[in-house]
Amino acid sequence: MDNGNSHPAPGPCADDRIKLNVGGKFFETTLSTIQAGGPDSLLAALSNRSTDDPNPVFIDRDPEIFSVILSLLRSNGLPSTARRFSKQELADEALYYGIDSQLKSAMSPPPFSGIDASIVTTVQPASDGCPSAIATGDDGSVWIAHGGQLSSYDWNLSHSGTIRTHLEDITSICRVYPDIAAVGSESSAGLYFYDFSGVRNLGSIHWTDPNDPRIFKARVTAIADSPGSVFASFDCPHRENCILLIDKSTLKIVSELSRQPGSSAKNLAVGKLRWVPETSMVVGSSVTCGAFGYSGYIRIWDPRANEMVWEAIEPGSGRSSRFGDSFADVDADVEESTLFKVCSKSGDLAVADLRKLGDDPWIYLQDKNPRMRNTSGDRPVGHSSSVIRCYRNQVFVGREGGLEVWSRVAKEENRVALENGVCEGWYRRNFVDKVEDSERGVIQKIEGGGDRLFVIREEVEGVEVWESSCSSGAVSVL
Amino acid sequence: MPPSAESALPRNGFKKIKSESNIVTIDVGGQLFQTTKQTLNLAGPDSLFSRISESASAQLAPPFIDRDPELFSILLSLLRTGNLPSKAKALDLQDLIFESQFYGIETFLMNSLSNPSHFDAFNLEKSLILPLNGRDSPSAIATTPFGSVHVAHGSKITSFDWSLRKKSTILTQFTAVDSMLAISPRLAAVGATDFSGLQILDLENGFVKETLNWENVTKTGSTVQGIGSSPEFLFASFESSRRNSNSIMVYDLNSLSPVNEIGHYEIYGADINSAIPATKLNWVSGYGLLMASGSHSGPSGVLGNIKFWDTRSGNVVGEIKENVDCFSDVTVSDNLSAIFKVGVNSGGMFFADLRNISAENPWVPLGERKKVVNGKKEGSGCKIESHGSQVFSSKGGNIELWSEVVVGSKKSSKNGREDDRQYHAGGKGDARGTTVVDACSAFSSLAFFFLGCATVSLRGTRT
Repeated sequence: MDNGNSHPAPGPCADDRIKLNVGGKFFETTLSTIQAGGPDSLLAALSNRSTDDPNPVFIDRDPEIFSVILSLLRSNGLPSTARRFSKQELADEALYYGIDSQLKSAMSPPPFSGIDASIVTTVQPASDGCPSAIATGDDGSVWIAHGGQLSSYDWNLSHSGTIRTHLEDITSICRVYPDIAAVGSESSAGLYFYDFSGVRNLGSIHWTDPNDPRIFKARVTAIADSPGSVFASFDCPHRENCILLIDKSTLKIVSELSRQPGSSAKNLAVGKLRWVPETSMVVGSSVTCGAFGYSGYIRIWDPRANEMVWEAIEPGSGRSSRFGDSFADVDADVEESTLFKVCSKSGDLAVADLRKLGDDPWIYLQDKNPRMRNTSGDRPVGHSSSVIRCYRNQVFVGREGGLEVWSRVAKEENRVALENGVCEGWYRRNFVDKVEDSERGVIQKIEGGGDRLFVIREEVEGVEVWESSCSSGAVSVL
Repeated sequence: MPPSAESALPRNGFKKIKSESNIVTIDVGGQLFQTTKQTLNLAGPDSLFSRISESASAQLAPPFIDRDPELFSILLSLLRTGNLPSKAKALDLQDLIFESQFYGIETFLMNSLSNPSHFDAFNLEKSLILPLNGRDSPSAIATTPFGSVHVAHGSKITSFDWSLRKKSTILTQFTAVDSMLAISPRLAAVGATDFSGLQILDLENGFVKETLNWENVTKTGSTVQGIGSSPEFLFASFESSRRNSNSIMVYDLNSLSPVNEIGHYEIYGADINSAIPATKLNWVSGYGLLMASGSHSGPSGVLGNIKFWDTRSGNVVGEIKENVDCFSDVTVSDNLSAIFKVGVNSGGMFFADLRNISAENPWVPLGERKKVVNGKKEGSGCKIESHGSQVFSSKGGNIELWSEVVVGSKKSSKNGREDDRQYHAGGKGDARGTTVVDACSAFSSLAFFFLGCATVSLRGTRT
């Protein structure tokens, strides 16, 4: 709350003041306060009225909600009386007065910090509640794919629309434009684009090759997007695979990034794609788990030159200092240009600097928390499922049902060391959740959006929403 | 408090006030309020109120403040009387805090809500549980005279503000914090027994302001065993990582520069007594001494010592050697001018008069006599802390309150000493199923006890 900087000079001249009559209740405020909503808001429009009229401006709305709105404009914060109204009521009223952006900033949670987060709600679609994929927006909104349907939830996490798609089971989803989703399924062919505002299908992309009869019924395994293009990994029934580069404005195929025969683990279809804006590269990874453990690869492509710039195949790259401990999942921190992997056997986390990749770029992070060591020691780590997601300079790892965060320690000396690359012992590992949270089910996917973290669990209905809070949440036991 | 001027006013208007009058009219969100300049000036020179009172006389029209009139009326009452009016109960405290911050009179609200006189030791009840996120249980707790509290859990420190409504969490370099002391509203001295150096942390922004290290002879790291403070100095008990030397460093509380080094011991041979670093540092303000206590569990039982240091000269003024029924925890009460301990073997409560500490056995048992059986550790894990004239001790999940009962006539007690002090236990807490792992006194109306689960419970008075 920036109460401090909004001190009005006591006693501004009377011309600045405005009287309002909202639903029979009188309010008096200053022009600068009601113009805070921006020039296009209804309140600002009212304030431009001629001041000759001695009668206060009459607004035919509920005065109680208006007092909340006025408090919000005066102090940039919501008063406790706002709790009497539902989020939807407040959002509707703020939209009427044209100050929805103020309400958004007052209602949004504080910056997300994994070391101080708690589950606030579970978003559950009305039908087919088990989500298969989610895509998030920067304002904390979320799109949930569930049973062939796409449901959209706005910044307020209230339901704003559902689309029934052509697919039966959506396994990958990407938000290519604020209103347009690209979806794909591992069970049926093609990449589809849907527009939420018009609720319509904008088109679809299929991978075909007239010269190669093996390229047919290609299904989508991963989608990512850059400002200009969409990347989608396609996989054919005979394991032929490639990454297609699709132009975002025309929704047409531009080029084919890497065609592979799919005959062994090191050329299977990419299961996870991430665009790194700093280097304009695409990071793709593929992992399979068999009787002999995990195997897979991480590759980085330069889409402009249409070439692969780096690859790591595990197990196999002989230089690895941890032979036999191949990765279970990998994710790129696009803000920091770093790559994080979680090892399948030891469960350790390793980091690599995307700017300085070599034969063995991995730095294995030390886990110093004695409490964490005990909890991972009581079951064989090798068989647990691990999910990793980088968000807001923190690394979130889901191990079975447990959600943990690796966050960087603030240290002045690090500023110098930062230029020399990443260093072990920089990260601290902590649990985000409590033991009872982890019992809800195996974590399938973690996504960050706005100041929220979304978690979906295998065969559990709904999407968990985690937020940080400034409120202590003290429980009175008197 | 100056009386409110409202009654002296004519009912029909506010216009008849002379310009040199003491009465100030303020228009808050369309409602007119009248008060006196004295009342407004009570808020202090930096607050919005005093600026209003300055500008009010120069103008004819009442100054307009674009804020909620209902909240203003409560804050004006608070300014007039120093107390919150009862109608404030209908409002949310958080709104009042924001509004008082806007007007710059948060301290008034703070004082009216958490006054030390509200603390009634005999009427304590568990009142709040402060939840902590994550899975780490609290390992250290620090309270401030401002009513806020810092809780270390795992590698994190969560700070709760004076109203216990807001919190913030920072990440530290420690894996677990073992000792913590708040030295200003935003700074805390933090140390651990497995991490080298005493860190002064900025709890608002989460960075290390300064790291204080003790240079020991072996040039190994030095871990922090205990932290204490006096109004002027910060004390830290260090032990070298090889555990072959220990020392208590004295730092200036404001500049954090080292002032003195007291009790430096290098360990040679089997001198077990010098190998015990001080784990608890208490300032005895009545005597200007630092009480440093430490104990060690060995094959011959628990041994310990309690030393009283003159921090300027660096001399030991008094020492109690704890060879039989050593303390499990020890504390000092300035008001009672006595030190209290829980015996680790007997589990019984003892007190020693500070004037009497040089005696052969200064300890006087309190309450029912318990037989000392060597090897048995009845008092293991018991904690003891003093607050005002009361001493709180914990055993398992129970909290006992010990207070002095004044006896009129002088009579000699059972053990033949000239002693007319009697203490009685009362007010047993009922924190069943939890274990008190550390206790800490708070300076405002609150006493915190810190439980072995991932919550911090707060005991305050019921009003």
